[in-house]
Amino acid sequence: MSGEVSQLEELKAAIRGQLDSLDCVIGWEQGYDPLHATPLFIRSEADLERLTISPLAVHNPATYATGFKGEKIGLVVRGCHSRSVIELLNEKLIERDEVVLFGLCCDGVVSQRKIRAALPADPGFVEAVELGNDELHITVAGEQATLKLQEVLADKCLHCAYPDPLVADVLIGEKHAPRQATSPACQDAFEALGNEEKLAFWQDTMSRCIRCYACRNVCPMCVCQDHCIATSRDPLWMSQENTPVENFMFQMIHVSHLTGRCTECGECERACPVDIPLMLLRRYMNKQVREVFGHQAGIGLDKTPPLLTFQVEEARIKERDW
Amino acid sequence: MERFITQDNLQRFTAALAEKKNVLAPVASGGTTTFRRLRPGMQLDFSRMAVISPKDATFPRNETLLTVQRYPEESGKRMELQEHLPEGEMVVIGCRPCGTRGKLVFDPVYETLAIKDPYYIRRRDGATFITLACARPETTCFCHSVGSGPADATGSDILLTAVEGGFVAKAVTPKGEELLGDALFEEPGARAEEAERNNTKAREMMGQAHDFSSAAEKLLKRFDDMDFWQTQSDKCISCGACTYMCPTCYCFNITDDEAGLVSRRLRTWDNCMSHTFTLEGSGHNPRSTKAHRLKNRMGHKFSYYPDLHGGQIACCGCGRCIKQCPAGVDIRQVVMAAQEYPDER
Amino acid sequence: MNANPYLPDMATVVEVIEETPNIKSFRLVLNDEEKMRSFSFKPGQVGQLSVFGAGESTFVINSSPTRMEYLQFSVMRVGEVTTRLHQLKAGDQVGVRAPLGKPFPVEDMQGKNILFIGGGIGMAPLRTLFTYMLDTRDDYQDITLLYGARSPVDLTYQAELPDWLAREDVKTVLCVDNEYPGWEHKVGLIPNILLEMNPSPENTVAITCGPPIMIKFTLQALKKLDFADEQIITTLEKRMKCGVGICGRCNIGTQYVCLDGPVFTYAQLKELPSEL
Repeated sequence: MSGEVSQLEELKAAIRGQLDSLDCVIGWEQGYDPLHATPLFIRSEADLERLTISPLAVHNPATYATGFKGEKIGLVVRGCHSRSVIELLNEKLIERDEVVLFGLCCDGVVSQRKIRAALPADPGFVEAVELGNDELHITVAGEQATLKLQEVLADKCLHCAYPDPLVADVLIGEKHAPRQATSPACQDAFEALGNEEKLAFWQDTMSRCIRCYACRNVCPMCVCQDHCIATSRDPLWMSQENTPVENFMFQMIHVSHLTGRCTECGECERACPVDIPLMLLRRYMNKQVREVFGHQAGIGLDKTPPLLTFQVEEARIKERDW
Repeated sequence: MERFITQDNLQRFTAALAEKKNVLAPVASGGTTTFRRLRPGMQLDFSRMAVISPKDATFPRNETLLTVQRYPEESGKRMELQEHLPEGEMVVIGCRPCGTRGKLVFDPVYETLAIKDPYYIRRRDGATFITLACARPETTCFCHSVGSGPADATGSDILLTAVEGGFVAKAVTPKGEELLGDALFEEPGARAEEAERNNTKAREMMGQAHDFSSAAEKLLKRFDDMDFWQTQSDKCISCGACTYMCPTCYCFNITDDEAGLVSRRLRTWDNCMSHTFTLEGSGHNPRSTKAHRLKNRMGHKFSYYPDLHGGQIACCGCGRCIKQCPAGVDIRQVVMAAQEYPDER
Repeated sequence: MNANPYLPDMATVVEVIEETPNIKSFRLVLNDEEKMRSFSFKPGQVGQLSVFGAGESTFVINSSPTRMEYLQFSVMRVGEVTTRLHQLKAGDQVGVRAPLGKPFPVEDMQGKNILFIGGGIGMAPLRTLFTYMLDTRDDYQDITLLYGARSPVDLTYQAELPDWLAREDVKTVLCVDNEYPGWEHKVGLIPNILLEMNPSPENTVAITCGPPIMIKFTLQALKKLDFADEQIITTLEKRMKCGVGICGRCNIGTQYVCLDGPVFTYAQLKELPSEL
């Protein structure tokens, strides 16, 4: 724990040194209860005091980057967040000299869903949380529970190949040994299902969708959210009717627009108020992109997303094998 | 009039009800708990407040207001308009007092002296609310600060309170009393007092209520202070989760869908946090930034609505907006920040 | 109005007038003869026109209640519904939900001088009141109309302008933003022409309508000319859906433009949060 505390101090010092030249630095602070953090917009020393980088700090600060056009900001980024930043840079949605990146070498963030499943009572009744060595000591509804951090880390973290920011102006923490990306069991299990079962799954799951567009608005890459095809009347693509068919149609459009751009930060799934496993669709789409274009979003600067460029002959698409 | 029903018998009672009427109940599904139309085999889940509110019962996500049939020009027939008023009854069971309270905010808007919304009125009049009192508050509960409480029976037909082995059921209306005549309900005996104690305990656990009475005036004072609203809305991502989760949010959209010769006028939930909510045909948008929209949302709930409707706050304190906001925007904090903003500055 | 406030009455287009390159006026008659006969409204009230399949939009009832052969609505083509409206021809069917909103306070204007200031499509609600006043001319003192648009082709009601200009019982001043060949009237922005005209606020009511920016500067000019807040009236536009104060979107603070407006005095607007 002391390691993390000194990392926090190191980060604060780095931010403090640059605060004057930045409109704000986006990190995290304690949220509405001891189990939740919330994004923090640091503009003063008083703000800086509240900064936290615990595993509860799950939000992707890169989501806010494009809202600060023309201003210079700082972002505290974990590995996956740095991928979002790289993708934004590659698509020229932000400029490199407009953002100072405070990188955190990351050991993972929690999944609130997994915490909920592991606790003896609803996390809404949480009274106290203590982060120990790789453990969460939680008092909820008068009962004590100790959860192993490893067991409640988000799926994206358990299978993460990029825990350290791939681009940063300041790097905090110990770099990790290189690792391979792996696929979560839930992804493999879903892909193994037959079409009938998949259809039944989405019919049922999409009936929960309320078209709140939290998934769209939390996505760092969805910069056209205010002019979205889902609510456009001219051209008219979708009914406003909130049925599984229309809801799924929205996801298909969303995923298509993210083809080659999604960096799997997982925010969409985290943000969904009704727990729709949206990452199933995006991981699958990213697999296709890797196979067809040999491309992965957000891991290299100065790469153009494959659908934003045109090649007369695609290296991996054999069109002319008659 | 009070009765007692065991856990198992409540499941049976609800299942039997579902055979005759539409029943909306909290059901565990996909790792979450939402209100669903109860079908055979579904298990009631009363262990936590349902993620979405039960407002679908009186204000569904979609409803067809009317349809229009066009005819080919050669037929000589003109267009035919068909009204689609809702029919049937709905029983909502297992909602919390905060969920039931949504109706109280809708009523003065949807049913005035001059204007009566028949779609809402029919659904509301055809709905029965069997509300479950809360045993303990969540960190995000603040119903006691907006004129309610964990055992508030306002708007309910029956109030259930969990006791050892089951629930004490209290009739609030004649409709509720009739339902409690069912054989599965027994005499409550001493359990009635136990229920009373549990409800008192739940209220005590909530602690002191916050006084929002100055909010209406203070929010207006901050209206032109865009720096304040910029800061308050910094982390907002301008989606619609808060609005759609909220039992009291009542804004809607009307759009037409067309397929061949039939068109349909659809009413759907809409949210004031979206960019297009106030976008005019000319391109002008009075609320073009999320700061403007958050200001309007807070203003409407804690200032404009109370001013128009005898001080009633358009918020039931359920805390769903806080829990479900992807960024953790806390409505209590925003309103309190306006209340505590020094006057001289 | 029907018991179900969302239910439109069916109407037939009897005439389409091409006013400008992007404005058309539609003259409608309700299909139900009894309803058409008993239809009553006051100048300033609006209606929702439905093109079924596209949607509904709000327009002021543009004809005067003193001339009930038809109901007229002037429509500027800006989006989905208005584009479909512009495709309509005589004989086509539309839906009408009217009258909605609060009218101009005509009783308070009797015996006074009336100053109309209209910009572009903002002339639509003013035309209703203007025509009404011409038909009840003796109830009012001097009537002045200042009507401006970007260019000569953008002026609506071209068929009526010569009559308005010729009449001796009203003073009509037209203006456009820039010089145009053949343009014989004033050149300049409406607020500036207004200041040039220097109308007296004595026993006068000023009614203005136009794009938000024009309203803003015209209000400033009227204040410069010493018009009191209660003497200035405007009618506002907002994105609307239900038109009856329920769907929650057209509000300025506590006031709903569809229900408490669209007509507001400047005095009323000053009480409200500035959210035009």
